[in-house]
Amino acid sequence: MSDLLPQLIQQFFNGLSLGAIYALIAIGYTMVYGIIGMINFAHGEIYMIGAYAGLVTLSVIGVSSGLPLALVILIMLLVAAAITAAYGYAVEKIAYAPLRGSPRLVPLISAIGMSIFLQNWVAIGQGARDMAVPALVTGAVQIPFGDAFVVNAPYSRIMIIVVTVVLMVALSFYIKYSRMGRASRACSQDLRMANLLGIDTSRVISFTFVIGAMLAAVGGVLIALAIGKLNPYIGFLAGIKAFTAAVLGGIGSIPGAMLGGVLLGLAETFAAAYISSQYKDIVAFGLLVLILLFRPTGLLGKPEVQKV
Amino acid sequence: MKVKALLIHVSLAFGITSGTAFADTIKIGIPQPMTGPATQYGDQIQAGALTAIDAINAQGGVKGKQLEPLLIDDACEPKQAVPAANRVVNAGAKFAVAHACSGTTVPAVNVYEQEGIVAITPGATSPLVTDTIKPHYFFRTIGRDDQQGPFAAKYILEQLKPASIAILHDKQTYGSGVATQVREALSQGGANIVMYEGINVGDSDYSAVITKLRGENPDLIYFGGYHAELGLLLRQAREQGVNTQFMGPEGVANQDLVAIAGDAVEGLLVTLPADFTKLEANKQIIENFNTYGRDPDGAFTIPAYAAVQILTQSIEAVGEDADAVADYMHENAFDTAIGKVEYDEKGDLKHFEFAVYQWDKSGEFAELE
Repeated sequence: MSDLLPQLIQQFFNGLSLGAIYALIAIGYTMVYGIIGMINFAHGEIYMIGAYAGLVTLSVIGVSSGLPLALVILIMLLVAAAITAAYGYAVEKIAYAPLRGSPRLVPLISAIGMSIFLQNWVAIGQGARDMAVPALVTGAVQIPFGDAFVVNAPYSRIMIIVVTVVLMVALSFYIKYSRMGRASRACSQDLRMANLLGIDTSRVISFTFVIGAMLAAVGGVLIALAIGKLNPYIGFLAGIKAFTAAVLGGIGSIPGAMLGGVLLGLAETFAAAYISSQYKDIVAFGLLVLILLFRPTGLLGKPEVQKV
Repeated sequence: MKVKALLIHVSLAFGITSGTAFADTIKIGIPQPMTGPATQYGDQIQAGALTAIDAINAQGGVKGKQLEPLLIDDACEPKQAVPAANRVVNAGAKFAVAHACSGTTVPAVNVYEQEGIVAITPGATSPLVTDTIKPHYFFRTIGRDDQQGPFAAKYILEQLKPASIAILHDKQTYGSGVATQVREALSQGGANIVMYEGINVGDSDYSAVITKLRGENPDLIYFGGYHAELGLLLRQAREQGVNTQFMGPEGVANQDLVAIAGDAVEGLLVTLPADFTKLEANKQIIENFNTYGRDPDGAFTIPAYAAVQILTQSIEAVGEDADAVADYMHENAFDTAIGKVEYDEKGDLKHFEFAVYQWDKSGEFAELE
């Protein structure tokens, strides 16, 4: 069984690329929660819209347009991010902003309604069927181990991991050093106080939704390129998984969302590999229950101080 | 003012529905997936059933009455099956060309049986459809998994002779049903099954399972389920450099499969109902499809056409009474687009022919000997 180690490496790579996508979406959940303390259940749909926007852009450019591949993908990412930024902004203004200050359950229900609306909105516009995304990025890095098992890292998945890491680093720096980043950290500590001190909180909240939506769009485009199949309902499952990742890492904490996403991806992959793929979700969610039992605030979450 | 306008609309709407209720037509409910991943199968059944209905109506209908199709969406979701079946009942239809998916058909059969609606499925192949309640009013124009499974297994054992086989399924009524049948028939034939595992429908990433498959290194991978999952499996397997022969049941045979899997579809083997469009006796029927601008290709299209033929032949013989029609269908043989049809006491076909097809790179497929 000399194959064990290379198989383990292959599975680790599989899990990492899955986890990277979860992390990208999870950031949207965690940032919104960090600032206004609500779960934006329409976030999974934003991811789905991002994937569709990428596919539509691709079909406008044309698969064999002659443009360099990297440029085509960059345009897809930018257009998708711009469109979902508009959606993120509009969703916040339409569904949540009028409800600010109402009991917590109210915006939650509004979010669920928004999620159902967006699903059907896309289903009407694009059709409810599966849509296929042509395989743009083909080929793989092959690392032979002995002569039996070759670890196979497709470029499309390497791209997921690289882009995710770059965005995470950029986001961390932005939150840490920029004016807007400082303002949003202040808001997450105490929204009302930040408001009193002259921070335009409603702008910060919009910014949070826009950043979350753009990251989700990048996730959507990357996964669409790697997987090749889309339908208007992919946002639901992806949203649930990413939400789990956010809770796992400690909701409200951005590094927590990154860690939670990667951990969830790895847990699912290894459960599928070494237990059975029918039980992989049970293992992943079982892990969530266990972590919440011992660390109710998640891995990197801070205990919530009751704000008075 | 607004309220008044609304009331007028409502009364108009009622007026229209009650108007059609009194019109002299024979209603045929067609509850099929019109949304969701199985939409194509619903489209095939609609194409077959509507073409048959149009052709029969053009010739003056049945006993002087026109057939009226009622299109209803079940989305291939078990939880929407019973509401869809109830809509058939509430619309006043006594006959139905029902449900493409086994998962929706199994719960819906109870409704048809209780309400005495004569329904025929051209798509649901699971034995559970007819074995659990042994219906009197429910029939098929498609073979059962336990006709298809052993056929696939026989082909594998006699033609492909793989040293080891992996079987995957989607844990749903249809997919795991047919996979179980194949597994049983294969193990009776002494085949070496190295892996038997379920995957989750709706997942997008199957790379973990594929890496596991690579570890087992089977000569053949059989997948029980629908095209959406198989398409992803094929594409991701090719991505990891797996070139193993894949095989599946008729649920995977769909042009969307080619779109999702791309080149990776090349070489795929599928057991399908024999190609009824090529039968000499069906020339006129294919002509009808051209006349009405619909596509006769697709695994379930001609079975759906046959379902309407069987219903109308029975109504022609004994009238519109559902009980009489059901009795007549059990007792008589029919000449249809899928050949001669005879039913056993629980509405299953006595004979149904399958064949093995192979896909090429461009997404075309051809029957193998």
